[in-house]
Amino acid sequence: MTKALGEATMQVETRVRHGETPRTLLGEPLVEMSWHMRGEEFLLRGEGEHYFYYRKGSGITIDRGASFDASEESLWLNGSVYAAIASMNGLLPIHASAVAFQNRVFAFTGAGGAGKSTLVAALGDRGLPMFCDDTLILDLSDPEQILCLPGHKRLKLRPDALELTGALRQEKVSLTVDKYYAQPAAGNVGVALPMARLIFLEDGGGPAIAPIQGAERLTRLQDDHQTTQLFAAARGFSRGEQFGHLVRLARQIVMARFQRSRATAQFDEGADLAAGYIMSGGKP
Amino acid sequence: MPAITKLLDRFTETDIDEEIIIMRLDTGDLLSLAGTGATVWRLIDGERDRRALFAALADDFPGDDQRIALDVGAFLAELKESGLIDEA
Repeated sequence: MTKALGEATMQVETRVRHGETPRTLLGEPLVEMSWHMRGEEFLLRGEGEHYFYYRKGSGITIDRGASFDASEESLWLNGSVYAAIASMNGLLPIHASAVAFQNRVFAFTGAGGAGKSTLVAALGDRGLPMFCDDTLILDLSDPEQILCLPGHKRLKLRPDALELTGALRQEKVSLTVDKYYAQPAAGNVGVALPMARLIFLEDGGGPAIAPIQGAERLTRLQDDHQTTQLFAAARGFSRGEQFGHLVRLARQIVMARFQRSRATAQFDEGADLAAGYIMSGGKP
Repeated sequence: MPAITKLLDRFTETDIDEEIIIMRLDTGDLLSLAGTGATVWRLIDGERDRRALFAALADDFPGDDQRIALDVGAFLAELKESGLIDEA
């Protein structure tokens, strides 16, 4: 099967080699856990002297410095570095975990700790294969439809989420992060698919799923500050262009809100509702 | 009475569903208008003055003319303060 152009681009652009990297792109020193972007270059500094440098067309160079944590390295690579490279190549990263049903993608978005991965694991247990975890990459090159690129990350769950969803525990994500890799029960989808729904996770009440309409469809897209900032920086958008970009997304992405209690006793009820919503094609 | 005009170089706007979203180009602030606010915005055509605007609204919202004048007056003041309209 041929890959979508965006997928092929990401495969080429995320190839990794090790070597020396610049220490700054903008003159001033780069502090730990921050990044610089300049033209076709991106530089991220993790903890200590751990640097990730990307140049369009040349892939990623990692400078590990004197001491580094290999398990942290994959988190940086698959997180901010991957999102920046996507943005610099015209692909939009959003903070979402997703499943696929009948060749369309149902993505759940929310802040860190909102329960995206846990819900995707639970939906796997209900027969829905995982499409991505934590970062969803959107290919906007076709003006008629938004295409989702399949996930590059493995499912990661906290111990309580493993217990709640019954997902199969694998190795620990890193020495400092209390999460484990997990095998999604219904497997993964590895092909690009169109977006069916973008569903915002909200705490409290419910469980209930309702459409998001009107101006809120545009304003909710600005919730995802980190990736919005990366994409706007990479594209060099003026305010008017940024507005046009958000309007396109708001018009083309069908959105909903999923309100549910975070109490363990109500988790299955919420997951059942989400599975039913997806399997009905997105009817509340 | 002077006509009310939109200051077109200060903002960009679009419709999503029945609502209007306006972004101020100087600050990036978003303003969303629905219902009567959206109706008033659509009636600002650079030719109507306040009196003509109130008259047009009275056709759409028959009843308390004085109340309409007060509410719309406050809304126009808000738009003016945001730099989106002018009366000249």
